[in-house]
Amino acid sequence: MLRSKSLSSKIADAVLISILVAIALTCVLPLWYTLSLSFSSKTAAAAGAVALWPVEFNFNSYQQLLQDSQFFKSFWISIQRVVLGAGLNFIIVPLMAYPLSKTVKDFKGRNVLMWTLIFTMLFNGGLIPLYLTVKAYGLMNSVWALVLVGGAQTIVFNIILTINFFRNLPSSLEEAALVDGAGPWYILTKLFIPLSIPVLATVSLFSIVYHWNEFLYGLIFMTREEFYPLQTYIQQLVVSVDPSTMTEDQYKRMSELSNRTLDAAKIFIAMIPVLVVYPFLQKYFIHGITLGSVKE
Amino acid sequence: MRSKGFAKHYYAMLIPGFIWLTLFSIVPMFGIMIAFQDYNPGAGVFGSEFVGLETFRYMFELSDTVNVFFNTIFIAIMKIIGNLIVPLVFALMLNEVRYMRLKRSIQTIVYLPHFLSWVILGGVLLDIFAYGGPINQLLEAFGINPILFFGRADLFPFLVVGSDVWKEFGFNTIIYLAALTGINPALYEAAGIDGASRLRMLWHVTLPGIRTTAVLLAVLSLGNVLNAGFDQIFNLYNPLVYSTGDIIDTWVYRAGLLNLQYELATAVGLLKSVAGFILISLSYYMAYRFTNYRIF
Amino acid sequence: MLRKYLFLLLFALVLVACSDDNAGSEPNDGDETENGDTETSSETADPFSAYEEKITIAIGQEVDPSDTSLQDGDTPLDNQYTRHVNENLNIEVEHAFTASPSNYDQKVSLAIASNDLPDAMVVGPVELRQLVEADQIADMTDIYENYASPAIKEIIDSSEGVALENVTFDGKIMAIPNSQASADGVHNLWIRKDWLDKLGLEPPETIEDFKEVAKAFVEQDPDGNGQDDTIGLAGPDTTNKLYANFLESTNNLYGFDGIFSALNAYPGYWLEGDDGQPVYGSTLPETKEALSVLRDMYSEGLIDPEMGVREDSGESVISGNTGMFFGPFWMPYGPITDAVTNNPEANWQSYGLPLNANGEYTPHLSTTTTQFVVVRKGYEHPEAAMKILNNLLANESEFDPSIGGPGYYPLRLVYAPADEMEVTTVALREVLAGTKEPEDFYDMPAYKLLKSDVDSIHEIKLEPYDNTDIEHWDPEANLGQWTRAYSALVGTAPLVDNEINGVMSLIYSQTETMEDRWVNLKKLEDETFLKIIMGTEPLDSFDQFVENWNSQGGDQITEEVAEVVNK
Repeated sequence: MLRSKSLSSKIADAVLISILVAIALTCVLPLWYTLSLSFSSKTAAAAGAVALWPVEFNFNSYQQLLQDSQFFKSFWISIQRVVLGAGLNFIIVPLMAYPLSKTVKDFKGRNVLMWTLIFTMLFNGGLIPLYLTVKAYGLMNSVWALVLVGGAQTIVFNIILTINFFRNLPSSLEEAALVDGAGPWYILTKLFIPLSIPVLATVSLFSIVYHWNEFLYGLIFMTREEFYPLQTYIQQLVVSVDPSTMTEDQYKRMSELSNRTLDAAKIFIAMIPVLVVYPFLQKYFIHGITLGSVKE
Repeated sequence: MRSKGFAKHYYAMLIPGFIWLTLFSIVPMFGIMIAFQDYNPGAGVFGSEFVGLETFRYMFELSDTVNVFFNTIFIAIMKIIGNLIVPLVFALMLNEVRYMRLKRSIQTIVYLPHFLSWVILGGVLLDIFAYGGPINQLLEAFGINPILFFGRADLFPFLVVGSDVWKEFGFNTIIYLAALTGINPALYEAAGIDGASRLRMLWHVTLPGIRTTAVLLAVLSLGNVLNAGFDQIFNLYNPLVYSTGDIIDTWVYRAGLLNLQYELATAVGLLKSVAGFILISLSYYMAYRFTNYRIF
Repeated sequence: MLRKYLFLLLFALVLVACSDDNAGSEPNDGDETENGDTETSSETADPFSAYEEKITIAIGQEVDPSDTSLQDGDTPLDNQYTRHVNENLNIEVEHAFTASPSNYDQKVSLAIASNDLPDAMVVGPVELRQLVEADQIADMTDIYENYASPAIKEIIDSSEGVALENVTFDGKIMAIPNSQASADGVHNLWIRKDWLDKLGLEPPETIEDFKEVAKAFVEQDPDGNGQDDTIGLAGPDTTNKLYANFLESTNNLYGFDGIFSALNAYPGYWLEGDDGQPVYGSTLPETKEALSVLRDMYSEGLIDPEMGVREDSGESVISGNTGMFFGPFWMPYGPITDAVTNNPEANWQSYGLPLNANGEYTPHLSTTTTQFVVVRKGYEHPEAAMKILNNLLANESEFDPSIGGPGYYPLRLVYAPADEMEVTTVALREVLAGTKEPEDFYDMPAYKLLKSDVDSIHEIKLEPYDNTDIEHWDPEANLGQWTRAYSALVGTAPLVDNEINGVMSLIYSQTETMEDRWVNLKKLEDETFLKIIMGTEPLDSFDQFVENWNSQGGDQITEEVAEVVNK
């Protein structure tokens, strides 16, 4: 690389860097805002006085949070959901992507099957039939309902990404293995999967983020709060209610108990796992997503 | 070919995934029938009376339908364009930074918002753009009257697009950055020897180097033309901006689950699926024609 | 080939799904003894008797996740209320589902749509109609006749037939209605009286006065902080409405109900037209006129510029920025308590104002029945739901809300005499004036809280007793009782002191075509009116709205309403 050291270039650098840093700062803002809200006093938060700095700094929210057993129950359910969901995703995605990465010449049924997958990705019967189906399987209140329903709706995209990665692996590798008499299972498990860690890490990350952040299915397939995953638990805390459908004493309870600072503390804690996971997977998925989507 | 006889193994690999998708994606599709029925929950999907295209007739009579489809496409297309160009520009800017540490930190920070759910970001955005919020305080300092951002139907689509691009640009930047690092440094050196300025290098070396990436990403995103982002809009909108902000998914959710209009919700959802299928097919063939590459 | 195969598989699975469904809808972890319990239906009808053998009832229950009142390991399923029901009636309560207040309606919709109903649950009028249409719930006619306790019958009858009318379909009683105080349906004007005093103004009698007060509140810095940060009149937030309507006729907060009614406009209500036939209030010229008044007020900055977008308009009441709003008598239960805690001088007073051109107070009035208990068709013990409600009313005063809020009572409906608040207000005044003693009110069991109200009033109300300004109260002595007493002596005072020429809607429930079309018509109405007021659409778009409303089903619905009314 050659470096130009002229003054104008230095000014350009300075301008550039300040713009980039400013943009980067906007990306930390929501996190910071939630954090300062969680450390503020209840009255300040209710009056909307908190902006970028905690008002009347205190730890009350976090002390209260420690006593909220449902929060930790939900946290645990979300962890289970993420582990099962991402694990299943990790197994099924390469299993399906490998045969489907073949050409029609090598695998005749390939196109029909592929379009069937696309079909399942786009069409659905709506929430009510889905509810009936899950109930018929006896999966109500089970974390498997969340894992399997949510997973089925996101896996096709992950398969497409992985197919593209597989196709871009040098074909000579597979041919050499075939010459040595290797079967498809051997090629997949011993050759393709080890070479595809970047893309598998990427789709795992997608799966983790999806299962962690999704809230609607928790609301639909769980009949009681004790089974809610974390985002569902948080969503029901922060959504406001139409008072005309409430009776006076319900409203009274609501307003006495609404607690933005505690909510903020919960939201902040809920962000942590994803924030912890992504730096670890980062180095893989930069590679994974690029090779998956682009043939250079 | 040596791989003859592998087909049965390929099918075996696909079986677990297809069972999963059949159970959780295909079976619930029996609910599509609701769109053609006068659905009576007491009688169920299999006992309700069929009314042919009655629901579709009513659907097209509703001024809402056209409006909702228009909003969806408008917002989605703007998002696609924004999500292609902004990360590209950002990647190019970031690529000019020579301090590796800074470059890496900025890159890590800017895709933080990608990992946060709209349940969480929605609340933060509403606060920041509130009438007395930081943005309006800034405007007032410049003598501009405060603006009711999320109450203005004319501004709402742009706020949605803007905030989505803000959330996602960091993530998309990664793809471009990877493509940029793939450009042969010798090309820059040659240009440098010819005395090219930074801008000229950008134009003649960098941009051509990532053209394929950009084209492919654009084509891939076509499938998203009918997905304007349920989670985001659901957490940001209000009746004031229904006229420009209500999209198919939010509309279907309200109609089907909150207003008990099952038939209408299913019909609109079905229309969306059909249109989505057409678009995906279209982008599949376009990608094949322009880049000679099959995306799945 | 493959497609055919998948199709077959699909059908096989669906068949499995259906056969499973029947078995699965029984409460599966129920008590063993529930089977073979047939003698209950033949026993003599006694509203309060316990079952000989324990029965179970699986209900839909609203559970507020932020309610931390349950103590000592109690749960939403095991608390003083469920234990009471269990011991007194030998009924074991189970939860088919629970949901937070914001998600309860969604869970009910899902249960209805999938025909996966709990044995009993609480629903609103729209869901009730849907359930009857789809033939999903049990006929409660005999059960109401035979099992409703005299106290419940007395309260329901106090609604002059309205409560039962709402649950009667083809002559059959299909649900158990609630009946609540009618004061919930009147939306008073609440004003910061300390601001009025400071600016030398009087409570506004007319719309013109009203505008002047709002203008003064916005422009003359009534809070004296030197900043231009005050709001004349609060507007609805995202969860509230411009005005209460015939389906949701109570408890609309921060709406413009008082302004509409002062201009003789009753949008959202079904009224008798000049020809004696029903008309929809939102389509009448009076409504257009009222909208133009509101539009002018908004453009002059007299109304909260953030109306319609705020998540909670109460926040600006609490923070002391708002000068006026419309709301029911119980607003002290809402933001006013916090507002007074924040600023002990915030003197919120309530008035039956503004008046119409003839000097009359003409608010719209609500139905007293808004919630219903329905029982799943096929449930073996439909009378159990009725017994649970009898038990509630008979024993409500025994429960201690501090170890579990009343919302945890299974299938809870509110039963209160229609005049509960007015009676309380008068009683408190008489006790304060010394014309009666607290003991004089001890023997009125239908008025559940009256005894504690009269007993504690001297603790919180300071002299002079006939002045309700905030400095003559001691909220800190007992904040809970203060909230209640302030709601009565301030919030309900306009209902006692004014002659109320209220307007009722012709109906308070849906007709058939409304099931399909009302939501979209309502959306059209809400959007158009909001935009007219906020100036993003011209006033004359009202005429277009009326045209669209009629053509998109309004005409047909109006005919149906006429049929119902003329029947």
